[in-house]
Amino acid sequence: MLSPVNVSIESLNLMTLVPMLIPIVGALLIIVIDLFKSEQDKSLYVMLSLLILGVDFVALMESAGIFKQNGTIMGVFDVMLIDGLAILSQFIIVGASLLFIPLALTHKRFHEFSYPEFFALFLFMIAGFQFMVATDNLILIFVGLETASLALYTLIAMHNRDKSFEAAVKYFTMGALAAGFYSFGSMVFYALTGSVEINKIAEVLAANNYADIGFVLVGVVFLLASFGFKLSMVPFHTWTPDVYEGSSAALAGYMSIVPKIAAFVVAMRLFEFLIHSGVVWLEVILYMGVVMTMTMANVWALVQTDVKRMLAYSSISHAGFVMAAILIGTTQSNSALFLYWILFSFTNLGSFSMLWISRQKNLPAHQQSDHSYDKFSGMVKTSPVAASIMGLFMLSLAGLPPFALFWGKLYMISSAVTGGYTVLALIMALNSAIAGYYYLKLIVYMFMKDPIVQNNGHVYVANATLPLKTIIGIAAMGTIFAFLAVNQLLEFVTVFVYNSGY
Amino acid sequence: MLDHILSILIFFPALAAVFGFAVNKNSIRSYGVAVATIEFVLALWLWFAFDSNVSGMQFMEHIPLVKTFGINYIVGVDGISLFIIILSAFFTMIGIASLGEIKDIKNMIVTLLFLQMTMAGVFAALDAIVFYLFWELSLVPMLYIIGAWGGPLRIYASVKFFLYTFTGSLVMLVGMLFMAYFYYQATGEWSFAILDWYRLILPESFQLWLFAAFFMGFAIKVPMFPFHTWLPYAHGQAPTIGSVILAAILLKMGTYAFIRFSLPLFPDASVYFMYPIAVLAIIMIIYTAMVAYAQKDIKQVVAYSSVSHMGVIILGTFALNVEGITGSIFLMIAHGVVSGALFFLVGVIYDRRHTKYMSEFGGLASVMPRYATIFGIMLMASVGLPLTINFVGEFLSLLGFYKQSHILTLLAGTAIIVGAIYMLAAYKKMFFGVITKEENRNLPDVNKRELIALIPLTIITIWLGVYPKVLLGPINTSVEAVVGMMHEKSLTQEAKSRIPNVTKDVEVVTNLAENPAENSQEEAH
Repeated sequence: MLSPVNVSIESLNLMTLVPMLIPIVGALLIIVIDLFKSEQDKSLYVMLSLLILGVDFVALMESAGIFKQNGTIMGVFDVMLIDGLAILSQFIIVGASLLFIPLALTHKRFHEFSYPEFFALFLFMIAGFQFMVATDNLILIFVGLETASLALYTLIAMHNRDKSFEAAVKYFTMGALAAGFYSFGSMVFYALTGSVEINKIAEVLAANNYADIGFVLVGVVFLLASFGFKLSMVPFHTWTPDVYEGSSAALAGYMSIVPKIAAFVVAMRLFEFLIHSGVVWLEVILYMGVVMTMTMANVWALVQTDVKRMLAYSSISHAGFVMAAILIGTTQSNSALFLYWILFSFTNLGSFSMLWISRQKNLPAHQQSDHSYDKFSGMVKTSPVAASIMGLFMLSLAGLPPFALFWGKLYMISSAVTGGYTVLALIMALNSAIAGYYYLKLIVYMFMKDPIVQNNGHVYVANATLPLKTIIGIAAMGTIFAFLAVNQLLEFVTVFVYNSGY
Repeated sequence: MLDHILSILIFFPALAAVFGFAVNKNSIRSYGVAVATIEFVLALWLWFAFDSNVSGMQFMEHIPLVKTFGINYIVGVDGISLFIIILSAFFTMIGIASLGEIKDIKNMIVTLLFLQMTMAGVFAALDAIVFYLFWELSLVPMLYIIGAWGGPLRIYASVKFFLYTFTGSLVMLVGMLFMAYFYYQATGEWSFAILDWYRLILPESFQLWLFAAFFMGFAIKVPMFPFHTWLPYAHGQAPTIGSVILAAILLKMGTYAFIRFSLPLFPDASVYFMYPIAVLAIIMIIYTAMVAYAQKDIKQVVAYSSVSHMGVIILGTFALNVEGITGSIFLMIAHGVVSGALFFLVGVIYDRRHTKYMSEFGGLASVMPRYATIFGIMLMASVGLPLTINFVGEFLSLLGFYKQSHILTLLAGTAIIVGAIYMLAAYKKMFFGVITKEENRNLPDVNKRELIALIPLTIITIWLGVYPKVLLGPINTSVEAVVGMMHEKSLTQEAKSRIPNVTKDVEVVTNLAENPAENSQEEAH
């Protein structure tokens, strides 16, 4: 006999759902608009999405204010968990989306943007990622992850090229495998502890002193593999370059930032308590994974002939670099993760946008792929400003001071030093040196070679419109003047990370 | 304005470079010369306002950058850095003024002005991260200069230059982060300020590791044997102006950093590594001198001789006494002037004949007498003839090291003889004898624009050779302070005896050697 459930609305804390509901409502709104009056111009949907995301951003600022006063808030039967990590990562998710969505306003017509479904799916995806980071319930994480991933697969496929279909199917297959691993891993933990909440799992495991270490390891292996896929850790990275190549440059840039920060937050919640509770084996595996991801991806990036594929491998390497933060697991390293990723979003989105504005409809005869290195040779002669901006992004990605990513690298390596991982710190530094080579390669092509085909430079900005140029301008400004903001960012991030107990 | 003169010196050329984009292509040369002259006048004003009786930092500025992490924009100048800053402004000025007819001259001048910013920044920075920032940033303009205006192998040379230095500096960065962490452990506060670090006494084992990390960054920049392989490529491919700035200023960053960082921060490690480094320096002096003798290309001769003399600078630095360090700093200036001038001279003949092979020349003295004269003076200076600028520096450096080891100094001294051999042989091949090649018969002598660069350099070479005291005074004051601090800070008996005690009046507050982990901070100074 079921006893009557008595829940007061206040105890549900429905306010915690607001940041996720805003994009969902917005997505529904877009679909409704299409229902009543279809064949609208894409600019309508772009601006609507911008507004909705703007409102979402304000809602996040509000919950950040609440967090600063009252600390962590639970809500909706304690499923939602709004702590500092959730808020910070949502800031990155929504902020990067704000920068991404105007990229749809290209000069040339790409047919995915003519569908309102593109924008609706996009907003659903954001809500999915937001759910994923704002809970420590394994089931809700799974729901968020799948909502977001399924939407993302469709977004990729909508680019409507053979390679895009291939990319979407590949991503879908790999994603499905990862989802299987994830559910299996969660099942093991549920079987062990009778709970699907990460903090309860940690409690129960600590209480019985990791008696079932064998089963814990099985669960960890599956979860690690599933997050390996999502974060494109070596050796689960194989889908990444193909998917990035198949999707549009803008979306590839987006994929290198937003899904990863969501996965990082979950990985942080999940793995840090395991590492710190003496599962030494996991530390070794993670250490190897971090080093391999950084190094191998860098080596592969060296030999690429296409800039987009190079950037794909480079973003794998950056993800490995940041994964080190989870291995180190101090407050400083976790703050470094967020600092790094905020700075990285500016730079990486900027460089992918530069590829995006040079996107041609049809490939000229001398070019093997959309963004081969050859295409950029002698760019400084025909289009000096674009070349300088692209060079700036490359220098920033290479970690040259005073550009944005240097500060992230500095703080991250410092956290390795402080955390006692001396060798790791050296490996991270040397990997930055290896990475320097392939970023430099593009600079060499742009600044030191002569153009292969005499062109008027229009090709590099063929796709540019005012909104796109604005986004690139914002990214460039953020990259150059990062040093002015690092202090505030660092203080802000550290407070949030520290107060969430990480 | 004097309070901010260093910031003005650093950022004025950068701002001018940004404005330079808007200047018309035909007027950019005058614009560049004007800007560089203002910069040089500012640098001279700095010298004029500089109080040479003060050993510490002057004209300091302090702006917090990343407060939470202890990164501040701190700049200051003392006797060690003052003259290198002036030299860099000077070389930028004469470099732009004497720039030949090259393509994309606007880009070149803008790049040179940016480069001037980074050079002034490196030598004025008193915060490790700010130092690192300018240090790394200086790679970019030079990469572009070599890669865009260089010879046929320019891309290989420029990328090699960049990657070599970049790798070394990243290891150095890890060392800096460790240093800041130790400071944090000792005081509970993050700081990257060099003057704060000076107050930290580290146990010897820590010093050794950190010394090695910093050494990677500096040694590649100098470049010390066996990390020198990038330099001949860079010089061989770089345009004249690139070689001049590279040899005159950029290489000095490494040797300067040894004096600014390695010696005062790690006195025990410096003593520990003194002999290994001295041996490397001597290998560098003798080996590269012999390699220079084997070259067919005059620019390579000058490049290798430049490496060889850098070895003497290192040797003087690691003499770890006042004479040696003062001599090495003076030799940095001298080497900048002389090898810069030699690269200019090589550029002069290259512009006329478009070849650098010595076999293509011969008997030039009768065709280009003024050129031969200036070349001769510079060559004598390079060899270290008394009453030229190099002699003072080399003599003091070797004198300093003589106090540490007679044998090694003797070996280094032989290198000066080898230097004389290859230099004189090169001179003979190029200038004496009869003219063998028809093309050489009607070569025009040095023109006015080239003289703008060469005459001042010649004057400096002789003036400072005859009367070096103007420079030696301020340098000596600051070096004495550094050596005194090193003596105080050193922990081991060996180091105490190797590093002379020059300052008698400073009371030493160190009982920290027994307990360095907890309170490795020193009150004195």
